[in-house]
Amino acid sequence: MKIKYFKSTIIVALLFFAISCDNDILDKAPVSSFSGEGFYLTTSDAQAGIYGIYNSTQGVFRTNFAYWGEGRADNVKTEQSGEGLTLIQNNLNESASSANWSSLYTMISRANYAVKYIPNVYGEGDPAGNQLIGQARALRALAYFYLVKVWGDVPLITEPYTSIEQDIFVTKTNKEAVLDQIEEDLVYAVNNCTEKYNNNNDRIMINKGSANALLTKVYMWRHKYTEALATSAVVLKNPLYSLVSTMDEWGKIFTDGYSKESIFEVGYNDDQTNSLRVLYAIGSYAIFTPSEKFKASYETGDLRISYVYDTTIAEPKAIWKFLGKGVSDEDASKSHQNIVLIRLADIMLLRAEALNQLGGAANKAEALSLLNTIRTRAGLPAFETEETASTQYGNLESAILHERSIELCFEGQRWFDLVRTGRAISTMNPLNGLSEESNLVWPISTTVLNKNPNMEQNDYYK
Amino acid sequence: MYGAISSPGSIQFINLTNFKSMKKNYLLNVFKLKKFFSAKKMILLLLVLVINSAFAGSQQALVTGKITDLNSGAPLPGVNIIIKGTTKGVSSNFDGTYSIDVSSPKDVLVFSFLGYTAQEISVGNNKNINIKLAESTQQLDEMVVIGYGAMKKRNLTGSITSISSKSLENTPIKDVMSALQGRASGVQVVSNSGAPGDGITVTVRGQSSLNSGNDPLYVIDGVAVETTSLSLLNGWDTHGLNPLADINPNDIESIEVLKDGASTSIYGSRAANGVILITTKRGHEGKANIKVNVFTGLSKITRKLSVLNASQWREIIMDTYKNLDDYNNKTTYADAHWTAIDSLNPMNSGDVDWQDVMYRTAKQKQIELSVTGGTKNAKYALSTSALDQDGIFLASNFKRITSRLNADFTVSDKLKIGYNLSYAHAVNNRINAGGTGNNSLVQSILVRPPVYSLTYPNGDPINYFNGKRNPVGLAKEATHLNTTNRVIGNQYLEYEIIKNLKFKTTLSLDFISMKEDQFYPTTVDYRAGYNSGAVRATSNQTWANENYLTYVKSFNNEHNFSALVGYSQQEWKLETTGLDGMYFASDNIRTLNGAGTISNQAVNTTVEHSLASYFGRLSYDYKSKYLFQANLRADGSSRFGKNNRFGYFPSASAAWRFSDESFIKNLSFLNDGKLRFSAGQTGNEAIGNYTSQGEFALSTNYLDNSGASPTVMPNSGLTWETTTQYDAGIDLTLLKNRIIFTGDAYLKKTSDLLFAVPIPETTGFGYITQNIGEVQNKGLELSLTTYNFTGKFKWNSSFNISFNRNKILSLPEEVLTNGYIQNGTYHILKEGESIGTFYGWNYLGVYSRDEDNVNHVRMGSSNGKEFRGGDPIWDDLNGDNIIDDNDKQIIGNAQPKFTGGFNNDFSYKNFSLNVFFQFTYGNDIYSNLNMMRNWVFAYNNVSTDALNRWKEQGDVTDYPRPIRLDPLKNEYQRVSNRWIEDGSFLRLKNITLAYNVPEQILNKLKISGLKFYVTGQNLVTWTHYTGYDPEVSSYSGLRLGVDDGSYPQSRTYIFGLNVQF
Repeated sequence: MKIKYFKSTIIVALLFFAISCDNDILDKAPVSSFSGEGFYLTTSDAQAGIYGIYNSTQGVFRTNFAYWGEGRADNVKTEQSGEGLTLIQNNLNESASSANWSSLYTMISRANYAVKYIPNVYGEGDPAGNQLIGQARALRALAYFYLVKVWGDVPLITEPYTSIEQDIFVTKTNKEAVLDQIEEDLVYAVNNCTEKYNNNNDRIMINKGSANALLTKVYMWRHKYTEALATSAVVLKNPLYSLVSTMDEWGKIFTDGYSKESIFEVGYNDDQTNSLRVLYAIGSYAIFTPSEKFKASYETGDLRISYVYDTTIAEPKAIWKFLGKGVSDEDASKSHQNIVLIRLADIMLLRAEALNQLGGAANKAEALSLLNTIRTRAGLPAFETEETASTQYGNLESAILHERSIELCFEGQRWFDLVRTGRAISTMNPLNGLSEESNLVWPISTTVLNKNPNMEQNDYYK
Repeated sequence: MYGAISSPGSIQFINLTNFKSMKKNYLLNVFKLKKFFSAKKMILLLLVLVINSAFAGSQQALVTGKITDLNSGAPLPGVNIIIKGTTKGVSSNFDGTYSIDVSSPKDVLVFSFLGYTAQEISVGNNKNINIKLAESTQQLDEMVVIGYGAMKKRNLTGSITSISSKSLENTPIKDVMSALQGRASGVQVVSNSGAPGDGITVTVRGQSSLNSGNDPLYVIDGVAVETTSLSLLNGWDTHGLNPLADINPNDIESIEVLKDGASTSIYGSRAANGVILITTKRGHEGKANIKVNVFTGLSKITRKLSVLNASQWREIIMDTYKNLDDYNNKTTYADAHWTAIDSLNPMNSGDVDWQDVMYRTAKQKQIELSVTGGTKNAKYALSTSALDQDGIFLASNFKRITSRLNADFTVSDKLKIGYNLSYAHAVNNRINAGGTGNNSLVQSILVRPPVYSLTYPNGDPINYFNGKRNPVGLAKEATHLNTTNRVIGNQYLEYEIIKNLKFKTTLSLDFISMKEDQFYPTTVDYRAGYNSGAVRATSNQTWANENYLTYVKSFNNEHNFSALVGYSQQEWKLETTGLDGMYFASDNIRTLNGAGTISNQAVNTTVEHSLASYFGRLSYDYKSKYLFQANLRADGSSRFGKNNRFGYFPSASAAWRFSDESFIKNLSFLNDGKLRFSAGQTGNEAIGNYTSQGEFALSTNYLDNSGASPTVMPNSGLTWETTTQYDAGIDLTLLKNRIIFTGDAYLKKTSDLLFAVPIPETTGFGYITQNIGEVQNKGLELSLTTYNFTGKFKWNSSFNISFNRNKILSLPEEVLTNGYIQNGTYHILKEGESIGTFYGWNYLGVYSRDEDNVNHVRMGSSNGKEFRGGDPIWDDLNGDNIIDDNDKQIIGNAQPKFTGGFNNDFSYKNFSLNVFFQFTYGNDIYSNLNMMRNWVFAYNNVSTDALNRWKEQGDVTDYPRPIRLDPLKNEYQRVSNRWIEDGSFLRLKNITLAYNVPEQILNKLKISGLKFYVTGQNLVTWTHYTGYDPEVSSYSGLRLGVDDGSYPQSRTYIFGLNVQF
């Protein structure tokens, strides 16, 4: 009897030993991703976090660079219904996709994480870390710059969200305060980013040059011409950037990307594609085609026309500038071209504007010279004097703006140029009846309003 | 013997293993059938096994005999014959005969059979004992499976529906879950589509979760199995696949559905949506029982939907242009310039009803073999089956081979061990049958313009035209192949430590390996030379180890105690690998090595999840008159924050057998009566594996640079969803056991709902998962089984009906917009309403004349267009004469008022007849398909309803004028009750007539059983619903009752035979 119990006891003991409880099995950290606490621990994490921000720029600008920068301006028309038409007719409402800012805040959130957590990896003040933080802050500035340009006052958030205890239902911040933050971020980027990467990354990632160029654009938006002169001078002197000389090369700025004239472009490839094809060159008609006014605004002899749109038919169905001359509807290649956001010709013409605004003979002369550089490259005669420019276009500012409209056409600059120079209403009123200052900003999307009871619609759209 | 099997042997078998031939001509050979292995070989294999086991038996005095039904004299197969006081026994053969070795004349044989009164006969010197068993119709001694055990049905204190293999035998079924359809009260089973192998949605007692899954837990022989679809290439078919399609339904001994809190709480954190226990057949001591079942059948579409012919269609297209000019107040009409109306254009000269082209009469066949038997110490059940089922849609097909071995060994008096092992191989050639867009076949064939020609003038097929893929080309030439291999294994060891105290440990594995191949050849793309393909390989492993002690003790047969205590741990691992490619050198090489470009977006991920649990149960009853039970489970999940990991799920239940009380006992009409009460808590942990930790996802790359970014905002405070359920039930057996009634009322409240709460995107995140809100389900379930005739002509019937009312009790203020949460396109979630509430505009008809719009109601805003004659009359809810978002209202509800089934079994002599009805009443269906079928602006073909469209002032109709571009959103872009229909139906789901070949013939054939049957499935459906089928499922969570044009249900005719040796 006793032996029997003994045996049983042994067996039971063995069994329980074999299956002894182990609560460690409940610790499951992600295998193919990082947990909230498990990231920003190493330098490679920090670098990956920065690439994550660039990744979000692809989404931000994929379609909206044209909706925001061209849709409401005078260079485009459309044969389609849908958002393109809404923008052109100034019928914007809060359900428009371009009225949704969520992708910009995704970009900002990723940047805020990087800005906050990279010092933990490198330690405060480490130049390698600061170089990464500089990129993050410049990209955050880029996002806020578009937010301010498109919506005016917007929520200013510079801390990452890591807990639901944080203030989630934010309100709008005055746009001047946001612009101050943008300047601060860009000055930091200018001081801390690398001079150059010595490869194609110089065109698609933030370095000192692109930070300076973006800062120039911000100063111009704020009409801070003196500051713009200083920063643009640095850009013009930067050996990374020079104008392309031939028109074939000019075409390749957009179709091939990574040109020496490019300062900052958003990189795409066959997998990470954008909407250039749908926007400008697909099917029977693209979303946007050149307006009659735009086609008529070319001076005779301008070599750029045939690179910009299909001149073989009276009624162009496609803009060729980005996908290349003669691009076919049924071309199987994906929409993979980089979207050029800032290039040297843009900064040169902005500088010309600033010089013209500040006045004085020397300044005016330099402004004219910058303008003529762009004109002559396109096969147009130089303006001998400010008067010749004024005779043709009214005044030098108008001549410069006209040149920007042609040189930078469809690159997402036109609407912001009109707003920045106070010409939006006078230009667009005859075309679509735009008449109120408060209508210059976009409405805030329904989805944004629905999720945040503290968010107020912009006045015009209330 | 072989002669008898030659007929199943001639059934052609499927080529599942030899795929080499595909290379030569991929398209043609994929679905060709070839002889795989003959049935003869398989039987031989099984026989070897059987013979081996037969020799293992002992040689003693043999008693033989035959068991028949007392009333009808029909032989009774499957009767258990046990030598009293031992575990030794056999079961009777198909013809009712048996033989058993007895060791002494003093042995007493016990003959027992489900539904019959058991008899005991002392052997004496008899060599031949024939027995007539009397039907008891008393089913209460049946055992039912419960969590970690089994108990007598009459002693249940909770609410469990049990379905035995006996009730399934009369209908050939191809998957486990359809067996439950209409047969279990409180269980709603909806086929997601009619596609073979497609997913099925099972809901037990209503939807209790908003975000976190409403699927019950499935446990097969103690293994909690994976039931979520692993299919990743869902671009073609949003329904997912049914993992239970891997299980051979013929292997099933019983299915138990645990419904109330008391029954389910032993499964704790995964049991909030009910638990479905599936038990497979095991071997019994005795002579081997060999069965071969084969069936073959044909399926057809149940109905066609109306479409316009070519000239009718051209007319309506021209109308849209004219109406646009009217809308723009033009006085002269522009010519419609779209080429499709040009009947002389060879591309547009067709007149095709694409349904005729795409639907076919589909074949199916299945063969199944099983051998069960055993000796005293070794018992086995072995089975194999092969199914080959064509879909009614061109080129769709499902093939499955299954194999199972269940073995039990008695090692010593104290030690038992055993093994269940099942393997399934399934190849599903799918088509895109759900969703929207150019790839959706079911929808696209209905809306495809009838004028499109099938071929070019030279006879070549037109595969892509005018932005639309040719459905024929897509079905025949594109690939979407899903291959699954699945192994479910479970081994156990049971040791009796001391008398009545048993220890059991199990180790189980559920391993699914799935490979998906997708390919679009150049012929279906508009871009020259462009083809694309994708491959995904998924492996899903679930390991579990469970250990528990059970103790049973009875005092004087009056006080009965039992106790259970245990520990279990379970781990899941899901690994996914995939590649996408394009520019393949040839359309014939479809593996990714043929791709010219491999996409950078390669997939390779692993996710894990684990659960550690403690559980226990105490039961006590006094003479089966007063019964009590309590359960407790503690579950720890890796999905929750460290401080919230463990959840505790208690339950208690009690029952009172009032029929045993002396003051009731004398009521002659009442044979048995019991009241049950239970309360219990269960949980739901169905959130993302890493949701509480927060997550940085990779592959947010910038060109070739690897990026990472925050995608899930952490919430360490997350915890379980908890469901508290109260149940009161009554079980009655009346009139000499001829009426059995069970009724249950329940109240089920789920709180701390795991909900992905939308948060402002200014945070960088769209959602954060929080515990918020409450949902309630309450309902009534009634089931009635009656033995209407019990003589030579038998008729018994069972009827069940379930009423469930779902209600959202609370949602926090901050997640509401205008007082509700928009849930997808068609539904809202709102306090006081149920899940599945449709929300949109109320369609009141069509203005006959311009002046009928007396209030000058406008579209969208105060300067919008005024509605005119021919435009829809929308309900202007707030009376502001503007039709906008403020006029949206609740327009329908997808929850049925009741569901149920009615089953009838008739038999007379050798014939038996099963007639099974299923019904659903009071639910609405939102027919997105009908909306697409009336969307003229997209150049869709439309239903013949459009022939009644408004054409000129004064027309009285409910079909508005179609306007090119649809500027008033007359036909599209508006969720409205114009597309809502009553989804109620009554369906003759199954009718089977069977003939059992009489004994004299069987003796000549030297086989012990032969049955022929014919079955019709889905023969008649009575419904007002105008789509293909009113059985429309919510294939993704809360998207209830939306018909996107999923693969239609079919009407099926089956002929089969069962042979037993």
